[in-house]
Amino acid sequence: MNVYKVSYVVIGSEHPGAIMNRDHAPVVGERITLGEHEFEVIEVLNLMPPRGDFHYIHATVQLVKKKGKN
Amino acid sequence: MELTEIFQKVELFNGLSISELNLVASICQERHLQRGELITSQGEPGDDLFIVTQGFIEIILEESQKEPRKVVVNLGEGQIVGEMSLVDQGPRSATARAAIDPTTVKVIRRADFESLCEQNGHIGYIVMRNIASDLSFKLRHRNLSERSR
Repeated sequence: MNVYKVSYVVIGSEHPGAIMNRDHAPVVGERITLGEHEFEVIEVLNLMPPRGDFHYIHATVQLVKKKGKN
Repeated sequence: MELTEIFQKVELFNGLSISELNLVASICQERHLQRGELITSQGEPGDDLFIVTQGFIEIILEESQKEPRKVVVNLGEGQIVGEMSLVDQGPRSATARAAIDPTTVKVIRRADFESLCEQNGHIGYIVMRNIASDLSFKLRHRNLSERSR
């Protein structure tokens, strides 16, 4: 059971970013919903070496869609 | 889903056995939060540690002489809030509130946690080690966020 603890840093927006657990590693091009907004992953790197089942990942994302907008 | 299954995916408890997770589960309470509901207020005393199991908690730094009030990070599933007060017993370093509906947290009171650690030193060692790792991760996140501004 791998757990991916991901630091999402948002560029080009005032959104403060997020930290959350995922069941898979983020990949470039993937879309992710943080709260009420949708983002696209544009960069992924390992932040720290894994420990046990836990992997520590950083992902840079950019805003794709705000709530209520296409 | 059993609470121990949920806790196996929480870094705070990484390294605890199933029986130890059950002991931790026995001192946890669940709180369902509405959007905007506060769980900590910056500067106030606080005895509780929160584990986010659903939704997001916004971490907010209140207005200072140098900067306006701002949200610094959203903490989602598996993340912990209030760990600094658990470690140093100081006032809350930030305000924390539910960012969306539904948001659910598990709550551990400091007195219950300290009592458990006195009974089982291994739990205390593992949890404190994992709190240090979590603080390190949050600092790295903050550094990366600052560089992206």
